Amino acid sequence: MELVNVHKSYDDFVAVDKLSFRILPGEIYGLLGPNGAGKTSTLRMMIGISVPDSGQVLILGEPLSRAHTNRFGYLPEERGLYKKMKVLTHLVLLAQLKGLTSGEATKRAHHWCERFELTAWMEKKVEELSKGMQQKVQFIGAILHDPELIVMDEPFSGLDPANALALKDALLELAKNGKTILLSTHRMDQAERLCQSICLINHGRVVLEGDLGQIKNSSGSCSVQIKYDGDSSFLREPRLVQSFNDYGNYVEVRLAPGADTQELLRLACSKARIDRFEVMQPSLEEIFIDAVSKPHA
Amino acid sequence: MRNTWLIIKREYLERVRTRSFMVLTLLLPAIVAGVMVLPAKLATIGKKVQHIVIVTSSPQSGEIIRQGLLSAGDSDDDEAAPETNAPKQARDKQYIIDVNSNPTEAERAALSEKVNSQAIDGYLWLSDDAIASGEVMWVSRNLPGSRERSRLSEKLSRIIQQERLSGGGMTVDQVSIMLKPIRVEAVRMEHGRETRDSSGMKFIEVVVMVMLLYMAVLLYGISVMRSVLEEKNSRVMEVLLSSATPTELMTGKLLGVGAVGLTQIAVWAVIAGVFAVPALAMQPDLDQLKVSPGVLAAFAAFFFLGYLLYSTIYAAIGAIATTEQEGQQLQFFVVTPLVLSVFMLNSVVQTPDAPVVAWLSMVPFFAPVVMYARIVIQTPPMWQIALSLFLLIATIAGNMVLCARIYRVGILMYGKRATLPEILKWLKYAKT
Repeated sequence: MELVNVHKSYDDFVAVDKLSFRILPGEIYGLLGPNGAGKTSTLRMMIGISVPDSGQVLILGEPLSRAHTNRFGYLPEERGLYKKMKVLTHLVLLAQLKGLTSGEATKRAHHWCERFELTAWMEKKVEELSKGMQQKVQFIGAILHDPELIVMDEPFSGLDPANALALKDALLELAKNGKTILLSTHRMDQAERLCQSICLINHGRVVLEGDLGQIKNSSGSCSVQIKYDGDSSFLREPRLVQSFNDYGNYVEVRLAPGADTQELLRLACSKARIDRFEVMQPSLEEIFIDAVSKPHA
Repeated sequence: MRNTWLIIKREYLERVRTRSFMVLTLLLPAIVAGVMVLPAKLATIGKKVQHIVIVTSSPQSGEIIRQGLLSAGDSDDDEAAPETNAPKQARDKQYIIDVNSNPTEAERAALSEKVNSQAIDGYLWLSDDAIASGEVMWVSRNLPGSRERSRLSEKLSRIIQQERLSGGGMTVDQVSIMLKPIRVEAVRMEHGRETRDSSGMKFIEVVVMVMLLYMAVLLYGISVMRSVLEEKNSRVMEVLLSSATPTELMTGKLLGVGAVGLTQIAVWAVIAGVFAVPALAMQPDLDQLKVSPGVLAAFAAFFFLGYLLYSTIYAAIGAIATTEQEGQQLQFFVVTPLVLSVFMLNSVVQTPDAPVVAWLSMVPFFAPVVMYARIVIQTPPMWQIALSLFLLIATIAGNMVLCARIYRVGILMYGKRATLPEILKWLKYAKT
């Protein structure tokens, strides 16, 4: 799946500004960004709910069309279910709209409701369920037709830790079965744990995009934790060290841009006795805050 | 197609299964029956024998008036429509009439006292020059209604006219020939055949349709608008849109809700049939009630198309508005043409072939009422009906396309109501 120069504006407000990225089949892809960054607008265009002003959404090289929608599963950010409908009937309806027969839909609904401990609630009306349970129903509704691309807008919001775990397991299982999953979230810790690739957007533009590991490596602001005994003069080598912070037990060193960790290690070894030398990768959260707080060019 | 069908099914089943549907479907006939039957029942309960005294110095004229009042059906049509007399007479009040030939002031005071004490219901006071002056006084506890008063004066004037004429030397036969009322029979040429429908029946056929259309549009149109709003606010729309097109969603909703309406009307028709047919069968003028198949087909077509036309607008309103209050305000666009066509109804019935009426019946927003009325009253040329139907269907189709666009953009807009320029922009940029 690929987005090419997708642009969308509402009146004067540009929601999505010439956005391009690609998602490889079978990966879990994170669309990240602060609130109002244009995540939901992007997702809506990707599954054909709304149409970009310009640019194209490509699925395996072809432009997105109605024929594709049955292969998508969509979990919107705001839960949308008919309150008066019974859970089972509702799930069957959603799956039927995606092309399943009612018999097959019923069978699968039973299976998934069992997995998410909803069996006792299947004949209840949606409005009688708690928010978390409705959320699970919504999730089941999105995947019942076994879609190839699963688009989830903030899937974990409103779930308690146990249910969030069950949902995460389900997502990982789907990914293992070769489904492509597009996850939109502003919770960096979740993205960090689940996603192989991410796209970080802000103000409708790409800030960072690509493989999560590479992004972490390339994000310049690497830091090293060092526990040492002896001469500390290596910490004042401006070619390698930008700044450091002594915590007593250890110091945290922020490397100068372009500095090599190995060079620092050799220098440190020559001066002092090193107990621990650990290269810290920045958390996605730090990268996120770093990227977002930068005035965008 | 499949999606539309699924949505029709959902809309239909979810609505028909609700308790409010059952209650409304069964309660309304009960209320209507109550409204129709109760007053009649109450009237029979309140009906009792009226005791009247006629006071006149001439016992003969008193007796003639007494006979006249006792025998009276409505004097104006007793000869022309003898068969309708029987039920009418049965409906008339029963009278006990005494003649008192003592027109003194004392007697008058005594009678007034009797009226007061409810010993009698009223008295007619004819002074000596009543026949010459035409002045008669009716004294009772309640002022008679205008209809009752005009009936009374009609009867009395006939009696007094007879008196005057026979006083002038005419025989009873001559008098009755002179006073024989004239009745105009209306004959209508339709397809080269003479038909004698009463225009009253025609008017009822029109009014029934207008009432049903009005009710269907208001009840089910609003229901369409509400459910669009509900789907929008509960964000179901977003989920549905990931599977179905806005056009499918809208068509499904309109037809599903429409089917609910038809079901309800069908239930009502059956109930009405069960209760009304035996009652109607007793009416001698039953054949006037027969509705021709052509009119029935026109009714079905214009009713259905009218509903579709107006409910597409309601769907669009639902997509534009954000709350029900806003929706209610925008309803103006639906209600105005409907109310206008009801206002036109009278002139349509009076002059169904006037050019203005013909042109109005081509305007899609008026056609369901105006064209249908024309067909009932006086079948217009075939090409006019065809053109009117064509324009109506074309407008509905156009409406659907436009509304689907508004739908596509509007249903995902939350928070604020769109202004007109914004809507126009939606229409432009939601082309795909």
